[in-house]
Amino acid sequence: MSVPLTWLVLAGVGSPAVLLALLGGASLLNRPLPERWTASLAGTSMTVAFAAFFVAFVVRGTATTGTQLLSYGAWSTSHEGGIALEFLVDRLSLAFAALSAAIAGVVSAFSNRYLHREPGYNRYFVLLAMFVTGMLLIAVAGNVAVLFVGWEFVGLSSALLVAFFHERPAAVANAFRVFSVYRISDAAMLAAAVLLRHVAGTDSLSLLFGSGAGTTSGLAGPNATIIAVLLIVAVAGKSALLPFSSWLPRAMEGPTPSSAVYYGSLSIHAGCFLLLRAAPLLEQAPMARLLAGVLGAATAVFAGITTRVQSDVKSSLAYASLTQVGLIVVEIAIGWYTIAFVHLAGHACFRLLQFLSAPNVLHDLHGIEDAIGDRPSPVDGFLEAVTLNCARRRLFLIALERGFLDSALDRVVVRPFTRLARRLTLVDQWLCDAVLPAQRPVAVGSSEDRDE
Amino acid sequence: MSDGWLWLAALIALPALVIGASTLRLDVEHLRRLAVAAALAMLFVALGVAVSPSLHDFSILTSALSWAPGGEAIVRIDTLSATLLPLAAGLWVLTVAVTPRAALDRRGLRRTALATLVTLASFLTESAVVLLLLSVASVWTFLSALADPAHRYQRRVVAVYLGFSTLLFAVGVAVLVSPGAQGTTIEKAGMWLIVVAALVRKGIVPFHAWVPEVFDHGRLGPAILFNAPQLGAYMTVVLIVPRASPEMLRIIAILALGTAVYGAALALVQTSARRACGYLFMSQSALVMAGLDCTSVSALAGGLLVWLSAGLAFAGLARCVLVLEARRGRLDLTTYHGGYERMPLLAISFLAMGLACTGFPGTLGFVGQELLVDGAVDAFPVMGFAVVVASALTGLAVLRMYFSLFCGRSEALAHASMRLGLRPREAWTFVALVLALVGLGIAPRALVDSRFAASDEILRQRQENMLPGRQFSGGR
Repeated sequence: MSVPLTWLVLAGVGSPAVLLALLGGASLLNRPLPERWTASLAGTSMTVAFAAFFVAFVVRGTATTGTQLLSYGAWSTSHEGGIALEFLVDRLSLAFAALSAAIAGVVSAFSNRYLHREPGYNRYFVLLAMFVTGMLLIAVAGNVAVLFVGWEFVGLSSALLVAFFHERPAAVANAFRVFSVYRISDAAMLAAAVLLRHVAGTDSLSLLFGSGAGTTSGLAGPNATIIAVLLIVAVAGKSALLPFSSWLPRAMEGPTPSSAVYYGSLSIHAGCFLLLRAAPLLEQAPMARLLAGVLGAATAVFAGITTRVQSDVKSSLAYASLTQVGLIVVEIAIGWYTIAFVHLAGHACFRLLQFLSAPNVLHDLHGIEDAIGDRPSPVDGFLEAVTLNCARRRLFLIALERGFLDSALDRVVVRPFTRLARRLTLVDQWLCDAVLPAQRPVAVGSSEDRDE
Repeated sequence: MSDGWLWLAALIALPALVIGASTLRLDVEHLRRLAVAAALAMLFVALGVAVSPSLHDFSILTSALSWAPGGEAIVRIDTLSATLLPLAAGLWVLTVAVTPRAALDRRGLRRTALATLVTLASFLTESAVVLLLLSVASVWTFLSALADPAHRYQRRVVAVYLGFSTLLFAVGVAVLVSPGAQGTTIEKAGMWLIVVAALVRKGIVPFHAWVPEVFDHGRLGPAILFNAPQLGAYMTVVLIVPRASPEMLRIIAILALGTAVYGAALALVQTSARRACGYLFMSQSALVMAGLDCTSVSALAGGLLVWLSAGLAFAGLARCVLVLEARRGRLDLTTYHGGYERMPLLAISFLAMGLACTGFPGTLGFVGQELLVDGAVDAFPVMGFAVVVASALTGLAVLRMYFSLFCGRSEALAHASMRLGLRPREAWTFVALVLALVGLGIAPRALVDSRFAASDEILRQRQENMLPGRQFSGGR
């Protein structure tokens, strides 16, 4: 039973990885493949990945409900430790992997037409392949290192796709802001990994995730709480939970298919999936569980209000998506794991459809107007109806400014950090001047420097 | 004559050939072609040495310097040095193949060959006296590259810092070899002098100020060639690690970790691409010193791997900046320069090498940093957290540089008819370097095993040297 499963999972993860190597290698050699080839390869790769994970899910699901560790060897033959390529598979991970591959396949087919003759066509598919590889690694990771590889692939490809139209300075600036939040998330994830290794002496995720449904994590007490809190910070960064929500509208600068697959369906749910996997750990850390619930609820309320005042359809959809993500996190914190996964899968598919049809929204509206012979009447929401006028105005302001999160981040983190770092730069220059007083030339360096 | 002699002769003869040819009246372009061919040949020879286990125990013993630490093995190729030789050769290839034609004259070609020869010789010896002489030679070579009046200030800064380092090194060696010093506080003082010398040479905080200055306003090319091989780390491995107390190594590691975070944080806010490169180098090279803390064989192997990955990736990144400067002039990071569409290969190479610097998965840097963290979490978890923070900040700094240098509108670029893309020689060099960094990141097993073997050897020698009553022998 395990031999075909081993190969199926390897084929599932390997398929987009091979696509990444092919398209990335062609780009590196400055010989991008023709669009037709790229589309065929991407379609084939996603189909193989989906088929492999679907069959693996069927094989595994009918056989047992526990988890199984698939090992593909380690870095070093002479010493223990370091990275081993290990996948931890169960029904949850295989189902999420199959869902990810299916959604990626749909987006790949859509993107082929959407980005036809776009100068960055090949670059887009390279990044999409990196993203899918990352998502599948997150889904089936068996140790922290493999999880981190997937986490990083998703983060980098996300930032580079936000900056896809890189001739627009706003897109690039927003991509950098998105990546900054992702790095906080990455650092939290790695810090959790370091702590896990320190207290448990292993980076195996089976220790965090338990060995199957209803089992418990191998950790308990303060260590479990600290690791769980770090994981929640990582999840909050990746899934745009409060207080990291401000990057989400910025990420809408990318092409619509990438917005759909990242912020509508898959990437934004990666954090939820990780929390689901770490449910046994959360059960050992009630304070962390409470924190997750509070963050999820606050995010749902904040995003629910904010989505109502957005002036562009993608930002509105992004915040609507975030509302549901917040609710999924609440469900996980409560312990409704099955409901949370069904919610996640259903929401990912539904929001994907909404995002992909977003460019047609005006066309669709015209169709409705033609059909009814008038403009559709605006619908007043429940929240608007029950809110007092003065509160409504304040909520409107908060929603319009997206909770002032960006300015708060600038004030609390970015400016003090920049100020301190610039002062230290001056100190470094002073350290040179101190050994050679009054000798620094007024203007130094030129483009004509010889630089062998 | 044994095989070892032949390989050694080939390694030394190739840069010597270029030095000799540079004194003849050869056309500069012909000389450069000769240098490229010699550098490639040296790279293949060095790779041959690295993969040939029979050459890993080759040594030339002498009694002439037996009074000095490590003096018996005046030349030695072992598992540590065998893998450093391709690094030295690779840096030479990168220099002569990628530097713009207008920026590399006859003297420059001679200087690069001489710097490579000095680096190579340093990696081939464990004798403190020989290392001291080679250290003087490498500093002199670097200073001669800053001889023009435009860089007088930087030349003096380098002279002060590295002169101080060399002086401390010389005094430290003298103290260590003085009669009756063994086992006394004098020996300890000698060790500390060598430690400080290595820290200054490596640009570890608080002895770092010369590094960003020389990268920013000095000459970037010579700075890369001088710094990327990290002879300060080699001095530490050969002379300090075998005999240093755990406390001494821990202090070095703490300073190195502080430097890693400090350099990454300051790289993030720089307005000059060159200065940002300087801080990035400080940050990455400090991780090597952190690994030398010897908390575990994994951490040490990780440090040795970061030595290779940071050396190659950083040199490639800085070379990308130089190639870009040749097309655009001095680069500042306060604006978006654009140009990805006209220089896609350079942009991709820059990003790939920057990611390798940050330890991004799929590159050699990831393997090194992962082993470093993995090996340190038990005894020294602070190292793990510091590497995490440094890696996060370095990643941000690299992406900021990438966005600034290659994204945004491109009005500031030269006329559309002007060719800005890479020349074939530049393109192939960058592609080969990226493929090496990615290839070794995806399939690192052989390299990881060799670094583990080198770490085992270093730790074994350290344990032997730390036995009570054992006299300082330097070397390993």
